[in-house]
Amino acid sequence: MNSNIAYLSLREKQYFKPNSEITLGQIAQIIAPKKYEKSLHQLKIYQVLPQEHLVVIDFMKIISMIKNKFPDIEVYTIGNQEIILEIVNSPVPKKPNLLAVVFVWILLFIGSGLAIMNFHYDVSMLDVHQRLYYLVTGQEKAKPLLLQIPYSLGIGLGMILFFNHLFKKKINEEPSPLEVEMFLYQKNLDQYVLANENEDKKNKQNNRNEGQ
Amino acid sequence: MITIFQDVALIVIGLAGGLAVGSGLVAFITVLDIIPRLSQIIKGREYLVAFQYSLVFGTVIFTLLDFRSIALQLPGIITILVGVYAGTFIGMLAAALTEVLNVLPILAKRLNMAEAILFLLMAMIFGKITGSLFNWLIFIDY
Repeated sequence: MNSNIAYLSLREKQYFKPNSEITLGQIAQIIAPKKYEKSLHQLKIYQVLPQEHLVVIDFMKIISMIKNKFPDIEVYTIGNQEIILEIVNSPVPKKPNLLAVVFVWILLFIGSGLAIMNFHYDVSMLDVHQRLYYLVTGQEKAKPLLLQIPYSLGIGLGMILFFNHLFKKKINEEPSPLEVEMFLYQKNLDQYVLANENEDKKNKQNNRNEGQ
Repeated sequence: MITIFQDVALIVIGLAGGLAVGSGLVAFITVLDIIPRLSQIIKGREYLVAFQYSLVFGTVIFTLLDFRSIALQLPGIITILVGVYAGTFIGMLAAALTEVLNVLPILAKRLNMAEAILFLLMAMIFGKITGSLFNWLIFIDY
């Protein structure tokens, strides 16, 4: 019976520092016979170059490296077929520039104010408010402010409800649509990287190997 | 004879138009996920059907009031309540529109502003409130 079977499962996205040396144990979970386990964990998979941001490593490359070093191990792969390594300078994300944040804040503030006014004129909101005021009270009023000021505050309330945030405090534990949207955006980016970067890196890798 | 024919034609046209507009409205609100979102917040998924009926009754009753010009003759103070509800609904609508949802993740990632995202969300919310108030209090006079 062949007992030299190694089961490998690549982790999700991982973060590394520039110039770090990446071993198999850092990017994959490994189940292997005792005698191989340690050396598999320490098997060097990749050396990060100084200028790299994203590295994609696929299982085929890992398997061929393992086969080179340990010809008698049989490798089984489980789960993801490739892993994205993001190279970041420090584990904590960079602090945003305060001036830029203020700029974007004002941009969004004025922009969304303009957008809601555009919307009001698009749908003739004034007519609707006057009509609604008449339907409720039986009186015509050119400026139904009693309806419109609470309406304006309600818009803010509705947005807060939708995003599930009362400033820092969450209304309940489920993720808000914004968090879901962020997650989806990140996932799309990762998928794009997997689809494109993979080809790029392969070419680069070949060039590098030829150079050596 | 011809008037009966006309009446039948009008009824068919009216019904067809109403069907199209009604299903369009429901489709629009469904796409924006407002009802699931609300029932998620109050943890009342089992009332989903009730909320659907409230949407249908709201649409039908307000259409009737509007078309028949039935004024309810209620005191003006009631419109404060109507205003808050209407505004909250529009606020959810505005928040659900993809412009808001798509801009923020890009800001967070591209401009390195993941930490400030809540702060920026507040900008959008205050912007909407201010814009709306400005619209009704000042802009309207010019």
